[in-house]
Amino acid sequence: MDDDQVFKALADPTRRHLLDRLFERDGRTLTELESELEMTRFGVMKHLRILEVAGLVVTRRQGREKLHYLNPVPIRLIHDRWIDKYTERRVSALLDLKKELEETG
Amino acid sequence: MTTMTAQTTQVYQLFIRATPEQVWDAITKSEFTTRYFFASKVEMSNGRRRAYGPDGELWGDSAILEEDPPRRLVHEWQGLYDPELAEEETSRVTWEIEPREGGYCKLTLVHDQLEGAPKTAESVAGGWMLVLSGLKTLLETGEPLVG
Repeated sequence: MDDDQVFKALADPTRRHLLDRLFERDGRTLTELESELEMTRFGVMKHLRILEVAGLVVTRRQGREKLHYLNPVPIRLIHDRWIDKYTERRVSALLDLKKELEETG
Repeated sequence: MTTMTAQTTQVYQLFIRATPEQVWDAITKSEFTTRYFFASKVEMSNGRRRAYGPDGELWGDSAILEEDPPRRLVHEWQGLYDPELAEEETSRVTWEIEPREGGYCKLTLVHDQLEGAPKTAESVAGGWMLVLSGLKTLLETGEPLVG
């Protein structure tokens, strides 16, 4: 919902690393994620919390376990809002250039 | 999600500025689904959720497992729009709609039980993203997502 939170969450290498781990395999517990990082359980929890607030990680309960899932939608929305807009213009500028060169050439 | 084996449980979540009833209508009524769901006409009746393509071809016909408007909808999933996907085992789609402050809803879509449907898992991974961002755009602006 809030772009600021998504950008802030992504602006940290540990959190990007956590997202990459979830991209490889989703639905992991805190204990599993913690075992792959040289960091205290509390540290991993803190990072996961920031990712969750930004909507990049969604947790679901399965029995007694809390599983963490990567939610790709906020990144997609940022892509739609920011990346598309600028790359579109760049592509059309290149097409204009091509056209101009071909016409004068 | 191209280089990895697609996940057997996929979770998508987004906030939409709309009421739960509006979100419910948008996911269950064909006058909305044709505008964001790959132009498919979704019909829910007699415990089945059917989806038809633009030329009336059957794209989906699966059992509704739970229906609790405007909060929760669970139905089976089988992609009849592609023969390879149609051969795979049935999976499950859960829609959860939660009202939030400020006129927003939190929509969570879980597509799971994909263990017997690896091609479906790969195919829907990008698909849901387009469908959900299209749904958000439609409900918030009244316009289908272009492009």
